[in-house]
Amino acid sequence: MKQTSEHFKAHVTAALADPTLKIALNRTTTLLRERRAQVIADFGEYAAAREAAQKIKDHTLDNLAHYLAMFEANAVASGAQVHWARTPKEATDIVTAICKAEGARSATRVKSMLGEEIGIGEALAAAGVERIETDLAEHIIQLAGDPPSHIVMPAMHKTHEQVAELFREKHAQPSNSDEIAALVESARRELRPKFLNADIGISGANFLIADTGSIVTVTNEGNAELTTTPPKTHIVTVGIEKIVPSMAHATVFLRLLSRAAIGAEITQYTTFYNGPKRAGDADGPETMHIVLVDNHRTEMLGQFLRPMLRCIRCGACMNHCPVYAAVGGHAYGAVYPGPMGSVLTPAMSDLKSTKDLPNACTLNGRCNEVCPVNIPLPDMLRSLRARQHQAGLTSGMTRGGLAVWGWLARRPGLYRRATGLAMFAMRVWSMNRGRIRRFPMAGNWTRHRDLPQPELGTFMQQYNRRSRK
Amino acid sequence: MSTARDAIFQAISTANGAPRDADTIAAEAMALIATPDVLRPGFTGQDNLDRFIEKATSERVTATVSHAATLAEVPGQVADYLTRVGLGAQIALQPRAALRDLDWGSVSVHHTVDANEPVAVSIADLAVAETGSVVFLSGPDAPVLLTFLPLHHVVVVGQGQIRRHLEDVFEFVGAGQASQPRNLNIVTGTSGTADIEAKNIRGAHGPRFMHIICVADL
Ligand code: SF4
Repeated sequence: MKQTSEHFKAHVTAALADPTLKIALNRTTTLLRERRAQVIADFGEYAAAREAAQKIKDHTLDNLAHYLAMFEANAVASGAQVHWARTPKEATDIVTAICKAEGARSATRVKSMLGEEIGIGEALAAAGVERIETDLAEHIIQLAGDPPSHIVMPAMHKTHEQVAELFREKHAQPSNSDEIAALVESARRELRPKFLNADIGISGANFLIADTGSIVTVTNEGNAELTTTPPKTHIVTVGIEKIVPSMAHATVFLRLLSRAAIGAEITQYTTFYNGPKRAGDADGPETMHIVLVDNHRTEMLGQFLRPMLRCIRCGACMNHCPVYAAVGGHAYGAVYPGPMGSVLTPAMSDLKSTKDLPNACTLNGRCNEVCPVNIPLPDMLRSLRARQHQAGLTSGMTRGGLAVWGWLARRPGLYRRATGLAMFAMRVWSMNRGRIRRFPMAGNWTRHRDLPQPELGTFMQQYNRRSRK
Repeated sequence: MSTARDAIFQAISTANGAPRDADTIAAEAMALIATPDVLRPGFTGQDNLDRFIEKATSERVTATVSHAATLAEVPGQVADYLTRVGLGAQIALQPRAALRDLDWGSVSVHHTVDANEPVAVSIADLAVAETGSVVFLSGPDAPVLLTFLPLHHVVVVGQGQIRRHLEDVFEFVGAGQASQPRNLNIVTGTSGTADIEAKNIRGAHGPRFMHIICVADL
């Protein structure tokens, strides 16, 4: 997808004016938050598991070269072919070259965020390979021509009424009913023959297991196995940060991922894949390719964004973000929305075109609190703001205002007098009506709400008065 | 291609410094999960079978369970199930000797699996008490698609195959030491989706119904 984060403000205005979007976001984020809270409350060991998960990821990142080399050797030993790509372009070139070599006409795909990140859809289209999205939500947005709006539930922005309309238009045998169960049944009917007739099956991986060379997928629908088993070739595209030392280490994350993402103890289908089918196997692909993708990850490894590489793409941070809940995923104009996206998008593109993202945050800290690997998202967003400032990306007004404030703040006596004076002036301005409807230079604030009338004196004045008593 | 590989390893070493020795790394990794019990749900006082059944039949996992003393009782129970859910006396059967050798009576058996297969019957290699999951290892007599294409999946689980935690399953397959089958499928109930308005719906692409026959002596 084409990144349009520079138009964030315009997107927000449009999103806030869309009443259907509000309904869709409300229905989903509320349910997801409730389910997560319940299942975490039932998991007494959660805090210890979360701490261990963080430590395992940090340990793996500290020894990344060691584990990647180990993974490669083991994957090759079980018959997979391993490829390396620095950029999205290198990755999609590898994928399309495989498709060409196989003479592939169609590919089924199970959703992976890395696939979105490298633009696999566009690349397959350019190579003339028909792409069949098999995850229900991806199927919906493929039919609608929409980009994903959430990393776990890409069709979160759609109500069931909208999906019903879409299916009636696009499905061969749509159902008459608008009920969600009937819609799911209609998609099942539509996709079933396509699973069995595709030339290539494309997946991502939730984990790479270093000591076995396995890749792991986690789904609720069972579409990963239906995508990766019938075709003669299975291609995996995956980020290098997905690696963990062993199956036992992966278990710690399996318990956290489904709880954080959908509020379940485990997802319905967790599958470990080792190379292509074995001699005599009843089914499975004849070749398996694993494309390991960097795309700015090694860059992040060397700087303040390193903790972001712990991310397991659960989506909890966005489900709990008040900004996301109000504007939805599309407003961010990037593959990754919400709090984690506001960190990743600048890291994977540039500070300038993504300038609004780190600022669209109230710093309430919920995202960090619910993150199963304890990523300090608010701190990183703050650091990104500081970097924008250093790079001269903030407005003249902000820079001037901050300079004046900084000058004053370093002179406490003067600062106290100035704030005391300002407060006095505001009290006079409010004329004791309890609130201020309009105030010079604060038009943007007062357009939507009133300022309260200030208390009697600044904090320091009140503090001094009390200490004297 | 190898240039991309070199460049990635070069970038990692710039960020991380010189690699440490493999034994130190392995010891550190093991220490992180040395006490698994503090990291996973405990269910002391509940045995594996009870926990497995509680979880497998929970609202979230949605399987039904019946009990059999030996494998010989399985065909009868399958026939009962087919009648109960109103299906014809036909099944796709996992081509495993233990199942093939049973007397299936009036139930007609085939070993291929059709795109719209109504019902399949298979033996799980293992089960997990912690989560109510059943586990399949792919192989010549264990097609993967048998677990995913049918609408109803009847799974035979030997009581002795139920492991306490997920880690015990990985230990069984030998983890890092052994050569692995192509697929290790951990299946917890039926195929579901919450992709439309986060409402949980069953039978997305895989089975909509799962029935587990717990065999005391497999
Ligand atoms: S940042 Fe944390 S909460 Fe957000 S998707 Fe990643 S792991 Fe989940």
